[in-house]
Amino acid sequence: MTITLNRVLRNSLSKKVLTAFSLILAPVFAMAADVVEPPQEFNPSAWDWSTLLTLALMLLVILVIARAFDIGSLTEKISGKRLVSPHKINGWVAIIFLVLGLIGVWYEMVYHGKYVLLNDAASEHGAVYDSMFMWTFGFTFVVFIITEVLLFYFMFRYSYDENRKALYYFHNNKLEVIWTVVPAIVLTFLVLRGFNTWSKITSADNEDAQEIEVFAYQFGWKARYAGADNKFGDNSFTFISGSNPLGLAVEGSVDELSQSLTDEIAGLEALIASADDSAAVWSARLKNFEAQGRQRAYPEEYKKIREMAMDAESGAYVRGLEKEIKRKSTNIKRIAKFRADQNMFNKAAYDDKVVTEIVLVKNQPYVFKFRARDVIHSAYMPEFRAQMNCVPGMSTQFAFTPIKTTDEARAEKGNPEYDYFLYCNKICGAAHYNMKIKITVVENQAQYETWLAQQAPVVAPVEAPAVEADPATDTTSQATPSVALN
Amino acid sequence: MSTAALHAEHEAHHHHKESFISKYVFSMDHKMISKQFLITGIIMGMIGMIMSLLFRLQLAWPDDQFSIIETLLGKWGVDGKLDPNFYMGLVTIHGTIMVFYVLTAGLSGTFSNLLIPLQVGARDMASPFMNMLSYWFFFMSSVVLLISVGVETGPASGGWTVYPPLSALDKAMPGSGLGMTLWLVAIILFIVSSLLGGINYISTVLNQRTKGMSMNRLPLTIWAFFFTAVLGLLSFPVLLGAGLFLIFDRSFGTSFYLSDIYLEGVGALENIGGSPVLYQHLFWFLGHPEVYIILMPALGITSEVISCNARKPIFGYTAMVISLLGIAFLSFIVWGHHMFITGMNPFLGSVFMILTLIIAVPSAVKAFNYITTLWKGNLRFTPAMLFSIGLVSFFISGGLTGIYLGNAALDIQMHDSYFVVAHFHLVMGSAAIFGMFAGIYQWFPRMYGRMMNNTLGYFHFWITFICAYLVFFPMHFMGLAGVPRRYYQFTLVEQFDVWVDVNKLITVAAIVAGAAQLLFLYNFFVSIFRGKKSPQNPWGANTLEWSAPIDVRLHGNWPGDLPTVYRGPYEYSRPDREEDFFPQYVPDESAPEVLEPEKAKSAPAEKEVEEESSVFFAAIKRVFGLG
Ligand code: HEM
Ligand SMILES: [Cu+2]
Ligand SMILES: [Cu+2]
Repeated sequence: MTITLNRVLRNSLSKKVLTAFSLILAPVFAMAADVVEPPQEFNPSAWDWSTLLTLALMLLVILVIARAFDIGSLTEKISGKRLVSPHKINGWVAIIFLVLGLIGVWYEMVYHGKYVLLNDAASEHGAVYDSMFMWTFGFTFVVFIITEVLLFYFMFRYSYDENRKALYYFHNNKLEVIWTVVPAIVLTFLVLRGFNTWSKITSADNEDAQEIEVFAYQFGWKARYAGADNKFGDNSFTFISGSNPLGLAVEGSVDELSQSLTDEIAGLEALIASADDSAAVWSARLKNFEAQGRQRAYPEEYKKIREMAMDAESGAYVRGLEKEIKRKSTNIKRIAKFRADQNMFNKAAYDDKVVTEIVLVKNQPYVFKFRARDVIHSAYMPEFRAQMNCVPGMSTQFAFTPIKTTDEARAEKGNPEYDYFLYCNKICGAAHYNMKIKITVVENQAQYETWLAQQAPVVAPVEAPAVEADPATDTTSQATPSVALN
Repeated sequence: MSTAALHAEHEAHHHHKESFISKYVFSMDHKMISKQFLITGIIMGMIGMIMSLLFRLQLAWPDDQFSIIETLLGKWGVDGKLDPNFYMGLVTIHGTIMVFYVLTAGLSGTFSNLLIPLQVGARDMASPFMNMLSYWFFFMSSVVLLISVGVETGPASGGWTVYPPLSALDKAMPGSGLGMTLWLVAIILFIVSSLLGGINYISTVLNQRTKGMSMNRLPLTIWAFFFTAVLGLLSFPVLLGAGLFLIFDRSFGTSFYLSDIYLEGVGALENIGGSPVLYQHLFWFLGHPEVYIILMPALGITSEVISCNARKPIFGYTAMVISLLGIAFLSFIVWGHHMFITGMNPFLGSVFMILTLIIAVPSAVKAFNYITTLWKGNLRFTPAMLFSIGLVSFFISGGLTGIYLGNAALDIQMHDSYFVVAHFHLVMGSAAIFGMFAGIYQWFPRMYGRMMNNTLGYFHFWITFICAYLVFFPMHFMGLAGVPRRYYQFTLVEQFDVWVDVNKLITVAAIVAGAAQLLFLYNFFVSIFRGKKSPQNPWGANTLEWSAPIDVRLHGNWPGDLPTVYRGPYEYSRPDREEDFFPQYVPDESAPEVLEPEKAKSAPAEKEVEEESSVFFAAIKRVFGLG
């Protein structure tokens, strides 16, 4: 048995491969040595002495270890005795790994642990949340340390010895019952506590809670405050248009939308009527293009023209237009149905305020009501220990009470620039990573009211029927996400 | 069969009885099919890994340009900068490849195929033909998925969970066009493959066991493959349904998942009445069992490898089987823990939280049993053994963070943060990959009749092990600091600036880990041709696969009669035996009464071992209707 293993070990090929391997890795180590300031370009000639030294050292270590294996097996071959057992070596490496690993864990907890959001929650339920976290952490950390230490210690302690035989031991019912029941009890405790915490957070139903609507779209957020009447105007996705991004029930805007849809349909119908002509035009253009032999020089245009010509020929073009007409007329019909509903168009939306920053008052309970326009987004407010998905066609909510103003948080962090944000935390497209809205928590009602007074209502109070909303403040735009980066 | 006959069989293909095509391509031999799964899995794994390195470069150095990105990706990497859309595509395809192609087909397909017939003592699978189909569906599926990466609008990019409406509307993101269609086609082919395989595994285990191989003498590998196949058979059809509904929504104007949508650049859509959350329920009804479909075969392999290389019986065989059964059952009723914050009823959230935390108990039992198996063992550190122990370490580190995520209250903050990325990469990604490596190192001689190089194996293990922790451990802290996942770059948020260096460290460690896989590839492919010839039973293992001739790999496995099984698979280091193992197929020439009295006492007769668990197995047999 052992003889076979030894034979397998004795293979000088491995040394060559390991050398090749270290060489392949050289640039990586160079990167590692340079982590703080990455090289703009891969340029080995610019490596300084310390980098090269590190490299050489790494190489040496790998070779020495490989050599140790080789010498070991060579001596064994000569003397017929086992000198360096690979089992012993691996046992030692396991112990070294354990010690270094534990130091690493400790280092991480000290060094990066301080960035973990704990004990500084900006919301009332945050403290409950944090204590739940600490209990879980306490239990799991103890189990983690005990089991990992045992695992690697056993690797070291019981590494192979020809003269020893393992214990012939199948099971121990008492032991197994113990380690089924103990975790069960601990988990029961955690479940009960978790249940309690979860119910507290999700049932925070407060009569005085102020509602704020948070609206998610590709790729940005808007918030809506109820305005002076303290009532939200009704809305529907069918009312959404460039000037009415939230789809609020505002007659002027909705009628305008209906009218422009009607106009668009007329335009599309005209296109269908002239489809035969346009097919002829496209195919003529295609022929022309090909005749001039320009397809090589302008492959993109050529592709486009050919596609148009083919679509026109196959009828796909007309079918596409018809589909558009159907979609638009459904929209018109739906608008008409809602339009008749006096309850919906009760002008409650007029004084609503649609804003691009959320302002909250300290110690005031809030209920955020979430809506999504296009795909699923998720409103993530880590400092407030709050998150809820925003799902098209479904209304969701999250209630919480902020307890720390932005200024207080800034003082605490020693960072005058610090701000709370609500991030998007459900993959939603290319600019997902840049979809956020600022949350500011102010000290008192007066500050909030001053801010709110500066925000324009949806429909200006005096006569003018013009619809007011600010579509221009999107942080990003769909077509050119890169623009938003700057 | 005589040696001459054996030889004749070996030479068969020289005499044109078996053509190249039927032997190597459309083979119906489970051993060949298992190699096909393995090689395809390794190739897919390499591709998945390279993708992760590409997007890791972006995360570590978002402001730098890498010419390699432009070279490899063309228009998606103009000026050496990864396009945000393609970043999403890479992440999505990376996840899909790793979860389905490497760790479902590559792992379960390889080892279920190799080991089920050999370890239960069957000549082949119940239906070799379906088995062959299973591989070729998988192959087609892989090809379609890889093609989807190259289409003009890019591959599916909505994450490996492809939640609608994002994945349903081609105007919502470029990847939701043709790329998404191909993704769905690939997954449907994959499901077909997985069902064909699963049916085969189950029926082979139930019906084809050789004489003496009662259910309670099955190696734990087989138990694990068996439960895995049952899980797959029950859950994949649900994903098929979810996928079909998605196809209807995408192409035929239905509204299963769509309602009240306004798309920029299009307008208000007609769809009303559907629910995006319905998709999530259907998806996770597969998705959660899927993580155990990934993990259980790895756990089974680990049980076998640890026991064999500790030269010690696996501790608590019955408990191991019961916990597998418990995990398999519970995994069907915990899917809601992926959906705590979708706005579902908080009461439902509580129910899912309780069920989820219950599943931690059988998992804990398994971890403790592994550790106890090592206690007072005689541990031979073959690379397979090291990878198995690595699995146990990851299983613990990653499993413990599951207790946080299963807690609905804690999940409010942690959902979709980097904490989740750390959790599932440890418990599912790294652990299962390590199980797969353990299996490869352990059964390579069984597959190719040659040995892999151990020294390279040691380096492969330690480098990969250390780097995996370096990559995934810091991610816990990022997540706890509120860093969301699936972000193309973090530098637009000032709060995340402290993670810049960590991201670099992670990327460097990932590259080193990736390079270490080259050692493995070299070792694997060179050993196929140049490795030392393997002895008949290189690891001194007890199970049946080592009784079939190793130098000639017969279609039919054993020349002559099938072996008979005399005892359980974990009789290592029996005090009454000279050798430290006692194979299942070796008859007991020294019956207990011949032994000296005290030895006879310490070595329980086979009968006793069998009886201890007979109540449980009698129940199992009843349930499955076995004789
Ligand atoms: C080379 C080693 C690996 C590295 C460096 C790596 C890294 C990553 C990173 C950075 C992400 C993106 C996280 C995010 O932004 O959400 C990711 C996603 C993912 N990875 Fe890996 N990973 C590796 C191996 C694996 C393995 C072995 C698995 C097998 C389970 C796996 C499964 C996944 C899945 C399922 C996702 C989620 C994809 C999605 O968001 O849709 N990865 N990986
Ligand atoms: Cu979003
Ligand atoms: Cu799950």
